[in-house]
Amino acid sequence: MTASRVLLLGDRPVCEEIIHWLSAKGDDVMRFTDALEDYSTVSVVIECIADAALRKSSLERVEAVIPEHALVYVSGLNAYVTEVASWFKHPQRVCGFQPWLIASMDVLELVRPLQMEQDELWKRAQSFWQERGKQIESIADYPGMVFPRILAMIVNEAAFALGEAVASASDIDIAMKFGTNYPLGPFEWADQIGLDEILSVLQGMHRYLGEDIYRPAPLLQKLVYAKWLGESSGRGFYSYLEGSKQDIGGGQQ
Amino acid sequence: MEKTIIAVVGGGIMGNGIAEVFATAGHLVYLYDVSPELREKALDDLADRLQRKRIRGKLVESVSDIMQRVRTVNTLDELSSAELVIEAVVERIDVKQDIFSKLDRICSPTAILATNTSSLSITEIASVVQHPERVVGMHFFNPAPVMRLVEVVSGRFTDSAVVEKIVQIATAVGKLPIRVTDTPGFVVNRVARPFYLEALRIAGAQVASVQAIDHIIKAAGFKMGPFELQDLIGIDVNYAVTVSVYESYFQEPRFRPHGLQRSMVQSKKLGKKTGGGYYTYDR
Repeated sequence: MTASRVLLLGDRPVCEEIIHWLSAKGDDVMRFTDALEDYSTVSVVIECIADAALRKSSLERVEAVIPEHALVYVSGLNAYVTEVASWFKHPQRVCGFQPWLIASMDVLELVRPLQMEQDELWKRAQSFWQERGKQIESIADYPGMVFPRILAMIVNEAAFALGEAVASASDIDIAMKFGTNYPLGPFEWADQIGLDEILSVLQGMHRYLGEDIYRPAPLLQKLVYAKWLGESSGRGFYSYLEGSKQDIGGGQQ
Repeated sequence: MEKTIIAVVGGGIMGNGIAEVFATAGHLVYLYDVSPELREKALDDLADRLQRKRIRGKLVESVSDIMQRVRTVNTLDELSSAELVIEAVVERIDVKQDIFSKLDRICSPTAILATNTSSLSITEIASVVQHPERVVGMHFFNPAPVMRLVEVVSGRFTDSAVVEKIVQIATAVGKLPIRVTDTPGFVVNRVARPFYLEALRIAGAQVASVQAIDHIIKAAGFKMGPFELQDLIGIDVNYAVTVSVYESYFQEPRFRPHGLQRSMVQSKKLGKKTGGGYYTYDR
């Protein structure tokens, strides 16, 4: 593989994981700042910004300073990649990717939006990741992609059940690990990835697919409003204060 | 402390698995089924499994010592000395209610009456007994000797002391009990629905292929993908659980079954057991 100069947009914990992973592979990863840096040698842009308005303005500013041939990977978590690509002057180099668990998954979900018409560009878009050890699963352009969509729906159902006092958070996690062999319970998983991440996938599906089944559970929404986003903020469905995980009932008591 | 005398009603796969759990842990177990053939088959199956475990070095006691603690009975009347009765018969409310109303008369007033139902309401089963406080759900997972989870389900009138007693008994035989309220699908069969249903919607909308979905989901850490797992469970069995949860929640759209599932069931491609489902298998 040839090391690339990568420009990263976003400040969520998943972005940190991507920076670490790419740096360990030998890439030169820089963040986008307003300082007058030289972005002319950037060959790859990776974006995962959740907020739609910030996302659009950031991508427009970035496109103005990067080379025309640079590849751009945008998150497919909560919007159509085709829509995000439409904000670009050169949309044919925009590709969708799945940002969660970059370090641990050996498979990467990639989306080829309508504008990426040239096979050559699509091939280049895949080989960047393949050279770094990922197997590519090419999927159609739908918000939430595959793994985030399925996991978010499991977490949402668990959050509905918790909100209805069907069982405690830790009992629901035990149930899914020992009753059906999940590697992590839904709440452990949500606390690790971030409740805001999970919520944003559900909101994206709810908005774009327009179906009631994607309506986020009230408890999940409230936890995000309270900024109890999981391990990164010391509290989510569980509390992580004083170094140990405690069942606080997702704020239900 | 003397070990609780257990009665198991129903000697099918779940019933004799539950009998194995308690007999292996040193409890005296009465096992009831309706016909001599079924009782004999239950005992044979149990002894076979124990024998295989013994060969693999997974049993400290001899098979015959354990089997001595399992006694089959011909009538429900013979269960009168049991302190905990666990019912594991067919998932039909009329059959279960009939058994519970009989057990209510036969068993001592302090005996706990538990049901291994996965899809019926504990409250509805308990409605036919004098003291619904002593009726509780004790939902084991298949295969019962292997799967550690037990959902301990309290119906509308279940006494909390009864729930705690069941939690204690289950823990003592090496299980992981969780406390659940009586709602459709309890925890596992409800929270697991989207694992299958969302995967079916993704495949149905041509977002990704069955193989790609399984590949991605396993890479994320699941032991099996949603389609492989349906093939293993039986696509018909999985579909029936979905339909049951959907109907029990008054057709809540989140649980709506998918056309692809039904089509697989209609095609009689039911998974591994028929040699093919979402994948094909050598038989």
